[in-house]
Amino acid sequence: MKFFRKLRHLLIPHESNNHKAKILHNSSLTIIIFGFLVLHSVFTYLPNFGPKILGFAANISPDEVIRLTNEKRVTNGLSTLTTNATLSQAAQAKGADMLNKDYWAHVAPDGTQPWYFFTSFGYQYRFAGENLARDFSDPTSAVDAWMASPSHKENLLSTKYKEIGVAVVEGDLAGVDTTIIVQFFGTNLVDTTPETPIAEAKAASTSPTPTRSGKLAVAPIIAQISPIPTPTPSVNPALISAPSSAASSKVLISPFGTTRGISLVTIILLGTIMIIDIVLSYRRRIVRIGGRTIAHIAFLGMIMAIILIARAGRVL
Amino acid sequence: MKQITKHLSHYLSLFGILIVATFGLIIFKYDKTLQTSIVVGTAISYVSWGIIHHYLHRDLHLSVVIEYILIASLGLTMALSLI
Repeated sequence: MKFFRKLRHLLIPHESNNHKAKILHNSSLTIIIFGFLVLHSVFTYLPNFGPKILGFAANISPDEVIRLTNEKRVTNGLSTLTTNATLSQAAQAKGADMLNKDYWAHVAPDGTQPWYFFTSFGYQYRFAGENLARDFSDPTSAVDAWMASPSHKENLLSTKYKEIGVAVVEGDLAGVDTTIIVQFFGTNLVDTTPETPIAEAKAASTSPTPTRSGKLAVAPIIAQISPIPTPTPSVNPALISAPSSAASSKVLISPFGTTRGISLVTIILLGTIMIIDIVLSYRRRIVRIGGRTIAHIAFLGMIMAIILIARAGRVL
Repeated sequence: MKQITKHLSHYLSLFGILIVATFGLIIFKYDKTLQTSIVVGTAISYVSWGIIHHYLHRDLHLSVVIEYILIASLGLTMALSLI
């Protein structure tokens, strides 16, 4: 009985709560906000101190990423890219490097450029580009996110590229189990006719100065006159192996999924109580000083739309 | 309901702000910076709407302002942890 009285006090307008559900009082709203801040702090700082139990579940195949990329190119009237095993290996190495050195960037903290991985595997490029994505649950969302970003879209739909290599690596990044997609674009120097006359190309001949991170880079033209011998890749095995501990760690909680679930439940609960509040206040002709409940419902409705629209995942 | 019909223009402006913001969030769903700006802008607009509405209705009190700020803060906390 006492429990039901407390529940009524919390959820239904009554004399005990001054004719307004206790959960809608300013003090209760403050506690709920504080609860969300604590939850957010836990997900932000837990990886630094606590057990590795946070992560993003994903089911992404590199072939599907390549298929979707080519689908976008065909839709835009472009030719498809050929899958290149060397590029895929180079992409795998870049992904493993990010996990090993714990960074999320085009350029590693020690200054290693993306192009290093191309050349390490013997891929002599005329043009090269890199797209990165993390925390997406499916390949469609990742490709859509790249397409929505002008600089990444430029890479995806560039006519300069002929080949593609994609790797999906999973491991521990900043304490959170993460799935990273590395997409390498390239045009092999051997297979391409120079766009500029040889004389001009000679003048422009310089060592490649790859552009820096952030912006999706297209490497400058490397002028070569003599045929390039077939490269003999000599790759450090450490380049392509991701940390084994990360692979074996068990993911228990998704920060995004948990926050999303709790937020949705809170909004639905508050919305329902607000609707009950409107109905009972109208029937009982309760007059009180306070905010407009209809306005609150409308605002929380928009927040609910954000929660439903929100997708995990970032591109770089 | 009586409240809505009595202050139809007030509520239409509020719903207009919220609908535009929702469409903005859908259109720019992969631009997190813009999404954050939209959410923060909407929360500020919401609190301002509340203050103006209650001022015109002659029932503006500190507790009312705090209530709007708390609802806006709650929405912001939820949205910003997901964007």
